[in-house]
Amino acid sequence: MSQLDDLKNAIKGRLGELECVIGWEQGYDSLHATPLFIRSEADLDRLIIGPLAVHNLVTYLTGFKGKKVGVVVKGCDSRSVIQLLNEKLINRDDVVIFGLCCDGVVSQRKIRAALPADPGFVESVEIGASDLKVTVAGQAATLRLSDVLADKCLICDTPDAIVSDVLIGTPHTPAPAASLACQDEFEAKSDAEKFAFWQETMSRCIRCYACRNACPMCVCRDHCIATSRDPLWLSQDNSPAENMMFQMVHVSHLAGRCTECGECERACPVDIPLMLLRRYMNRQVKDVFEMQAGKVLDQTPPLLTFKVQEERINERGW
Amino acid sequence: MERFITKENLTRLAEELAATHRVLAPVATCGTVTFRRFQPGMALDLHSRMAAVSPKAATFPQTETLLTVKSEIPEKKPVITETLPQGKSVVIGCRPCGARGKLIFNPVYETDTTKDPYFILRRDNTVFVSLACDRPETTCFCHSVGSGPADPDGSDVLLTLVGDGYVARSVTEAGEEILKSALFADAGAKGKEADAKNEKAREMMGEAHDYVSAPAKLLARFDDLDFWAAQSAKCISCGACTYMCPTCYCFNITDDDQGLESRRIRTWDNCMSHTFTLEGSGHNPRPTKAHRLKNRIGHKFSYYPDLHGGVMACCGCGRCIKQCPAGVDIRQIVKAAQEYSE
Amino acid sequence: MNANPYLPDMATIVEVIQETHNIKTFRVVINNEERMKAFTFRPGQVGQLSVFGAGESTFVINSSPTRKDYLQFSVMRVGEVTSRLHQLQPGDQIGVRAPLGNSFPLEDLKGKNIVFIGGGIGMAPLRTLFTYMLDNRKDYKDITLLYGARSPADLTYKAELPEWTSRKDVNTVLTIDNPSDGWEHKVGLIPNVLLEINPKPKNTVAITCGPPIMIKFTLQALKKLGFEDENILTTLEKRMKCGVGICGRCNIGTKYVCMDGPVFTYAQLKELPSEL
Repeated sequence: MSQLDDLKNAIKGRLGELECVIGWEQGYDSLHATPLFIRSEADLDRLIIGPLAVHNLVTYLTGFKGKKVGVVVKGCDSRSVIQLLNEKLINRDDVVIFGLCCDGVVSQRKIRAALPADPGFVESVEIGASDLKVTVAGQAATLRLSDVLADKCLICDTPDAIVSDVLIGTPHTPAPAASLACQDEFEAKSDAEKFAFWQETMSRCIRCYACRNACPMCVCRDHCIATSRDPLWLSQDNSPAENMMFQMVHVSHLAGRCTECGECERACPVDIPLMLLRRYMNRQVKDVFEMQAGKVLDQTPPLLTFKVQEERINERGW
Repeated sequence: MERFITKENLTRLAEELAATHRVLAPVATCGTVTFRRFQPGMALDLHSRMAAVSPKAATFPQTETLLTVKSEIPEKKPVITETLPQGKSVVIGCRPCGARGKLIFNPVYETDTTKDPYFILRRDNTVFVSLACDRPETTCFCHSVGSGPADPDGSDVLLTLVGDGYVARSVTEAGEEILKSALFADAGAKGKEADAKNEKAREMMGEAHDYVSAPAKLLARFDDLDFWAAQSAKCISCGACTYMCPTCYCFNITDDDQGLESRRIRTWDNCMSHTFTLEGSGHNPRPTKAHRLKNRIGHKFSYYPDLHGGVMACCGCGRCIKQCPAGVDIRQIVKAAQEYSE
Repeated sequence: MNANPYLPDMATIVEVIQETHNIKTFRVVINNEERMKAFTFRPGQVGQLSVFGAGESTFVINSSPTRKDYLQFSVMRVGEVTSRLHQLQPGDQIGVRAPLGNSFPLEDLKGKNIVFIGGGIGMAPLRTLFTYMLDNRKDYKDITLLYGARSPADLTYKAELPEWTSRKDVNTVLTIDNPSDGWEHKVGLIPNVLLEINPKPKNTVAITCGPPIMIKFTLQALKKLGFEDENILTTLEKRMKCGVGICGRCNIGTKYVCMDGPVFTYAQLKELPSEL
């Protein structure tokens, strides 16, 4: 039986006790998936998994407070579940986790760059073991999956769900790259170059908050300081400075919490590489607190606790 | 008037206009196409893809300073200055759907009793040079909302790609002025080619969906919160759809306090946000994303057409579908309401 | 209103009245004398008050159009703008955009019995029409005012209550939710007191404003008393920004509270989608 059939069977067995199970189905065209809320066995027919199933569905869990739901997670997504559990934002008894052993998902941005015409003109998609055959505006193209994988997959050390009630598929031995070229290149820039980069990039930002709302850890949502007048930290003025300020607030609020699922960057309609900020922040957190969010269950997040003397913060030793 | 302009000369035209106008044109930065303030030396990108954000900022900028207030002693003797937009603008290379968006603003922003001077000034001082689409994307549905890939409504000049340049047709007097530039040549027989291309693009869109029953059918679902909860399940309640939409015209007004000076700004606002209708008392008439999506879709396909002669507040550009982080498809939701049976 | 609908008139606060612990009444005069002189409005209409740097909020004009020396607004302190307003003193400058919205149907009310039912700060819009009617008393038949608040301290317009309760040509009934020392009027919730007063629905219009829960039960009581939907008026509140039907947030279906309201009959409300 295929991994998909195994998953469908597993879901079928638990559906009765659940409000719904969140998975994926084909979206508005053959190149795009969309979240699927499975409420009946008939809905199961539409379920898909694979490299196009990009969304981190854990984002929806906090919206189901008090109800028992199922969720299908990739390895990276499972880190978000762990982090939500560790922060007591969801209740373990209220979630049934269908974990996948994931071979990686695509970056729609990389696909767009690799295709001979805009993906908006897609006519058909064939997903192979190691490639995608895409016909777009009458032209056929074969893309190697390894060329269009999301950045997060290139450095992924948790392809298989870390926490799950059912684990589907064959576990991997991960072989992540040590670092990402785009991150290294960015961090090698001078301060002036970085400033110019963000100045330019943030002039594209439309403050739609897709980055915030797609984030599984951004649980303030309706009460975010971004639109609050009391406290008033941000102007609604859409200037690069205010836009960047929002991103700095966002990333700071995720210190020790960001699981690098990449949803912020994926959700951005104007392609702002927000993960540059996240990865930088996460490395600082790892250096200081020796932790990565969402990797260990029952771990107290470092910024949700207090130690008089942090081992790696030299506070009074000068 | 019908003329022809080469691709190269269109860039020249943009450069010439930039001396006297604020020129907005699709420009690619890091693989993203957005409308930018065009400066000589920049490369136009009319063809790689539809700009991510619609050109509505030309007539409805994301931030508009309505007035400034200065006072030497706060709360004593403040001086208000109204800050009406100055200058002329040209949008080059938007799609017909993007140019058409501002027409949806008209009956709201300019009525017998109320005239929004900021929008009206910008609208009357902006020329839209649009490019007809030669093939529909999977998310395009302009033909279903009374438009089409070569719709001249809302544009001043309509370009159609023919060979290494564009057949340019004036739609308005302002468009005719543009075509007087020496950069345009005689179109000769190319006009026929342009007609054939436009016709083919329309055919490629296939049959249009009929939205005539949508206003009543959506209203009939108003109290059916289960329907809206199901339709909005995957919505993450962000504002990407509204901010990229050519027709979404709702705004916020806030004051930016800078000590002795303050600015009253109006900024794009988003009906999918919790704070949009949150009242001072804490009461919110649209407390969940289901309520809010209902209003967004109701506004576009029911309330607006009911108030304004059946015209849908949508130009079918598909940005809200294509760029939605969760793939919410407005076409499916309206259709679900239309096809709903008790 | 200015040609630019977003441009406020500068106005001076001439008097501040502390009504309750969180409600103040402001009397303001538009600085431009000609504009102040020419200013007209109808009872029920609202205005936007600006505290520059904080923003604008909507309040009903609760002075009567028959009393033209000033415009009066009562403001409950709940948010940023209202908190800043509460800090202002006579002589301080604010912005005024008014009048906005529709009004009570004055012509239709002539020759009718009128029952006002106000709860808490909901008395503000009723005060406009009530004082207008007192100034044109002969145009109306019996006038009843039922005004309630949580406690005596929560009653606004205390300076005027003695006049209202002592006038022979109106029947003013005050009520509070719970007994209180020295209170000489009714004790009980507004809908219950209304049933007790038992106004006759014939040739009578009921006009009510107050918190949502009070409105809900008051409407039920009015129906019980036999009032027709067309003869019940209320004024609605929504978050507003532009006040002129453009910014798009105060709609209930196709109706914009800032333009088509704030005054609606119960019959009209029933026609609207349920999104109060």
